[in-house]
Amino acid sequence: MNDMRLIDRAVDMKDIKIAARDVQVYYGDNHAIKDVNVDIADKTVTAFIGPSGCGKSTFLRSLNRMNDTIDICRVEGNILLDGEDIYDKQVDPVQLRAKVGMVFQKPNPFPKSIYDNVAYGPRIHGLAKNKADLDEIVEKALRRGAIWDEVKDRLDKPGTGLSGGQQQRLCIARAVATEPEVLLMDEPCSALDPIATAQVEELIDELRENYSVVIVTHSMQQAARVSQKTAFFHLGNLVEYGETGQIFTNPVDPRTESYITGRIG
Amino acid sequence: MTDQHILSAYDRDLEAIQALVMKMGGLVEAAILDGAQSLETRDVELADKVRQGDKAIDALELRINEEAARTIALRAPVSKDLRTVLTVMKIAGSLERIGDYAKNMAKRTHVLAEMTPINGPDAALRRMAREVQGMLRDVLDAYVRRDAELAEQVRMHDQDVDQMYNALFREFLTFMMEDPRNITACMHLHFIAKNVERMGDLVTNIAEQVIYQVTGEIPDEARPKGDITTSVSKVE
Repeated sequence: MNDMRLIDRAVDMKDIKIAARDVQVYYGDNHAIKDVNVDIADKTVTAFIGPSGCGKSTFLRSLNRMNDTIDICRVEGNILLDGEDIYDKQVDPVQLRAKVGMVFQKPNPFPKSIYDNVAYGPRIHGLAKNKADLDEIVEKALRRGAIWDEVKDRLDKPGTGLSGGQQQRLCIARAVATEPEVLLMDEPCSALDPIATAQVEELIDELRENYSVVIVTHSMQQAARVSQKTAFFHLGNLVEYGETGQIFTNPVDPRTESYITGRIG
Repeated sequence: MTDQHILSAYDRDLEAIQALVMKMGGLVEAAILDGAQSLETRDVELADKVRQGDKAIDALELRINEEAARTIALRAPVSKDLRTVLTVMKIAGSLERIGDYAKNMAKRTHVLAEMTPINGPDAALRRMAREVQGMLRDVLDAYVRRDAELAEQVRMHDQDVDQMYNALFREFLTFMMEDPRNITACMHLHFIAKNVERMGDLVTNIAEQVIYQVTGEIPDEARPKGDITTSVSKVE
C-alpha cells in the first residue's frame, strides 16, 4: 500500500477515461437521470453514492449500455470513452462491454467450472491463440481476482460451489479476464461478510493500478475507504462530485451533508 | 433541511458530549472569576476552592475525550458530525489549560497573601481576568449557537487583553525599579498577568475551533497580536 494515499488522495484529472455530457436517462416517462455531467479519471476508483432510486445504478449501467436491454429505457446526451461516443451506431455493445466490464451485486458465476467461468470471455472474444495461452489468461485473471491460491487445485469444480466471497472474487476475475479498461461494480460487497468485503476492497485498490473503477455502493464507509473520487446522486441529479476526503469532511452541498451524516434529506 | 439524524440515539450522543463541554466551560469561567477575586482580596479560602475545583475540570476533560473516542468508534462520524467530535476534544484541551492557569493564579494568591499588597496592578489584573472570562463566555455562546461571526469577534478581541498585559508589564517594571522590595510580589503578579494573557490566547484557539466547526475551515493566522513585551528593553 502506498501510504501517501491515506492522506492525499489527489487525482490527476488529466487522464479522463469517461466523460458524460448532459446525460439524460428516461424509463418511459420517468426522467431517471437529469443533466449529468461528469469526468471519470483513469486509474482511479470513483464511488457513486446516494439513496435508493437516486439513479446511481441507472447511470452506472448507461456507461456500458446495459440499459440497451431495457426496451423503455432511452439515453440522451453523450458518454465518451476515451473521447469516442459509446452510443454511436458504429459501436458494437458486445465489444464495448469487453472494454467496460461489470460486476454485479450478487455473485453470479455461470453454472460451469471455475476455469470455464473465467475462460468464457477470452474465448468468445478470441483473445487466446491456443490452450496454453488460455491457461495463462485464466491464471492471470484469477491471480488479479485474488483467488488463485484458493482455487488453483480445483479449477474443474463448479464455480457455484465456492463461498459467497470467493464467488464474487471469481466474478471479478471473470470481468478482468477480457482485459477491460473500465470496471463497473454495482454494490459488489452487499452480499458479503466483512472479511470477504475487505478482500474485495483490497482487490479494488489493486485494480486501480490498471483500470478505471466505478463502484456504486450503499455503504458510505466503503465509498470513503476505497475511492479517490465520490459522486453523490439525489433524485436523478448529480448533486456533488469531488475528492472523497473533501466530500466526507466538508461537503459543499447541504443535501450531500444531510445524506452522508445520516440526516433526513 | 432538518438538523436531526435519522438515528436519534446519535443525536443524543453528540448532545451529551457537547453538554459536558458546556459544563466544563462553566466551571472554567467560575475558576477565572474566583481566582481573580481571591487574588484581589487575598482570600486564601476562595483560592483553595479554585485549586480544589481544578480536579473536576480535569476529570471532565478525560470524560469528554473518552466519549469522543467512543463516538468515533461506534458512529463513524463524517462531515460536520466529525468536526463536532474533533472540536469538542480540542476545546476541552484548551479549557483544561485555562483551568490550570486559574489554579496557578490561586496558588500564587497564597504566597502573595503573606506580602505587602501592591495596589494599582491588583485591580488591573482583575479587569484583565474579567475580560478573558467575558471572551470565554462569548466563545461558548458562539459554540452553542454555531455562530462563526461571534467567534471571529472574540478572536479579534484578544488584542485588547494583550494590550492590558503590555501596560501591566511596564507597570511591574516601574514598581520593581522604584523599590526592590517589590520584586518578589511583582514577579508573582507578572506570572499571573502572563498566564491571563495566555488564557486569552487559548480562548482564541477555541474561537478558531468554533469557526472550523461551522465553516469547515480553520481561519488563517492573520490575527492582530498585541503582546509587544518581547521587544521592551527599558521603561521610558
